[in-house]
Amino acid sequence: MDLAFTPEELAFRDEIRTWVHANLPKEISNKVHAAQRLSREDMQRWAKILGKKGWLGYGWPKQFGGPGWTAVQKHLFEEECALAGAPRIVPFGPVMVAPVIMAFGNAEQQQRFLPGIASGEVWWSQGYSEPGSGSDLASVKTRAERQGDKYIVNGQKTWTTLGQYGEWIFCLVRTSTEGKPQTGISFLLVDMKSPGVTVRPIKLLDGECEVNEVWFDNVEVPAENLIGEENKGWTYAKHLLSHERTNIADVNRAKRELERLKRIAKAEGVWEDTRFRDEIAKLEVDIVALEMLVLRVLSAEKSGKNSLDIAGLLKIKGSEIQQRYTELMMQAAGPFALPFIFEAMEAGWQGHFPGGVVANAPLASNYFNMRKTTIYGGSNEVQRNIVSQTVLG
Amino acid sequence: MDFDFSEDQEQLRDAVRKWVDKGYDFERRRAIVNAGGFDRAVYTELAELGLAGLYVSEEHGGMGMGPVEAMIAMEELGRGIVLEPLAQTLIASAVLQTHAPADVQSNWLPRIAGGEAIVVLAHQERGARHHLDRCKAEAKEAGGQWTVSGTKSIVPVGDVADAFIVPALASGQMALFLVERGAAGVKTEGYVTQDGSRAAEVAFSNSPAQLITKNGLTALQEAADIGSACICAEGVGVMDKTLAITAEYMNTRKQFGVVIASFQALRHRLADMKMQLELARSMSYYASLKLKAPETERRQAMARARYQLGTSMRFVGQSAVQLHGGIGVTDEYIVSHYFKKLTQLEMTFGDTLHHLGEVSSRMQDTAGVFA
Repeated sequence: MDLAFTPEELAFRDEIRTWVHANLPKEISNKVHAAQRLSREDMQRWAKILGKKGWLGYGWPKQFGGPGWTAVQKHLFEEECALAGAPRIVPFGPVMVAPVIMAFGNAEQQQRFLPGIASGEVWWSQGYSEPGSGSDLASVKTRAERQGDKYIVNGQKTWTTLGQYGEWIFCLVRTSTEGKPQTGISFLLVDMKSPGVTVRPIKLLDGECEVNEVWFDNVEVPAENLIGEENKGWTYAKHLLSHERTNIADVNRAKRELERLKRIAKAEGVWEDTRFRDEIAKLEVDIVALEMLVLRVLSAEKSGKNSLDIAGLLKIKGSEIQQRYTELMMQAAGPFALPFIFEAMEAGWQGHFPGGVVANAPLASNYFNMRKTTIYGGSNEVQRNIVSQTVLG
Repeated sequence: MDFDFSEDQEQLRDAVRKWVDKGYDFERRRAIVNAGGFDRAVYTELAELGLAGLYVSEEHGGMGMGPVEAMIAMEELGRGIVLEPLAQTLIASAVLQTHAPADVQSNWLPRIAGGEAIVVLAHQERGARHHLDRCKAEAKEAGGQWTVSGTKSIVPVGDVADAFIVPALASGQMALFLVERGAAGVKTEGYVTQDGSRAAEVAFSNSPAQLITKNGLTALQEAADIGSACICAEGVGVMDKTLAITAEYMNTRKQFGVVIASFQALRHRLADMKMQLELARSMSYYASLKLKAPETERRQAMARARYQLGTSMRFVGQSAVQLHGGIGVTDEYIVSHYFKKLTQLEMTFGDTLHHLGEVSSRMQDTAGVFA
């Protein structure tokens, strides 16, 4: 047992740190550190910088052009990016659909889709949830009917994150209504420029349009876009959900945001208030404990000795922490978090923010936005069902 | 970064677990509680397993093991809510080995390792609460002989132990002394504590003492941190077993015609217990692995770990009782004894609020496992 990273791992971290510092544009990291609004261009600019280096698909094995890093190396990469203020990698392409294409797609599909994902050129979206299928994902109703060498897709997806920028979307579609709901689902890749696809942004409680409804009206999709076998899509989707284990905890971002919370608390004069500072102290312990939990998972993956079936715990705790730091940031600013000036969340805004501290502008919006984290990706209540199953056997 | 146990460590775990499972069942434990909360024969069995000499160097007849082995042993003893105070032995052997003069070491360490002598820390004073630097006991030197006067409370197995490690002020500075229970002017008054184990009020009146170190506060803080790491590990063991007992009960107890494990409200509480256990286990690893870090880093780590453990132990203990229903509040059934053990652990070497205060006042701009 040893807490320290190996000299090789530390050298790796230094290499990543040096590279990120040299290549992450300052105007982007400044926005991230201040929680200002990121544009599509910001996100894609960073994705392409990573893509050029071969690191956008940082979790990919070498045979598909990835760096072939270990679990620990991946963690260190995520940590360096997060602490430096890099935008989160938009996961739908490199982290979500790519592993499915690698595991279940044919060689032609791999050659066709993976390069555009690895380079950051093609923006992917996720077509899972539907108005009637939230936590109960297996109940999806969007139909795909085989007609010759194509599928005709009809239905509606929703909560499609950043779908307004999407060029391709991977969908769970119903190809059979026989048997259990899970057995009639297929995994289909759809070009969002196809006739019949309509994207409608949904305005959320913070005023942003982060998610969308995506409508399919007799959309023709070539049958060659089906991943794997028809009616096996649920298996592939589960593979996708189980693929990212520690990333979901997002502990590295939490460490960065804890630093920001402390800066805000000092600027707002509540750092010296024991009652307030103790709340930060509790969060600090939470974050250290979560980091240790993540490190335990990484260690288990490294040695292959003890498997740790605690993905549900990582999701629950990670999401609660994300909500907590945004909540405390808002509370630190108190009434000066209340003015809602949409433009003040843009970098370079020249107006006067009430109270004079423009850094307070996004705090309430961030708090409202983060309520999603305990709902998406399998709500925390669903996660608790899963965790209790592992305990009760 | 590696959290796997070595083969030797796994063997140690197996050996202690086997002893707990076969040699320390609930009925034997109950008999010990009824007889006053301590059984020398049990302590001898622990010594025969090598545990009393776990921290004692091989030179003095011990096993010369480290914090990870101590953690493993304490976890396993926690699973059986063992009453006999191994944590005290670990603390005493570490303090003597690090700070005591050679003659004190060679006189006591071999006997500690063999289980013939039990030495415990007698530091708690009425006015000090969790503050280690508050001490009223005094020490005087005359003609090369030290004597100690003062009263210490809630001293583990205080009326059975062979000697005490006693903080006392010498010319206003805290120093640590070794005082034998049989020394002149030592009076003990034993009792049982809430978890069923034994403790005593110990009064010293010009009692002959041997100086361990004049650097008393530093040594006492080390002792308390070793104690805290032990509490973390023991707490993990207690909680691990508590969760297993609760899950088993939920899978067998029927109400409304079905096992209560089928009710979601109960399942979610059980999931939250599992969360608290795994966070606590993570922080117990953290505490033990930071035990040899430089003082500032070590004390920050211990405070963080104890805040987590305190939170977890309270939640797991209370939830286990609640999920059991009426049977959970009886003396007859085992779970209430686990609950009481968790409660007592939380209040030893600083309670949860105390440690939160320590975390709070020690916060830096950055934070993480490595910062």
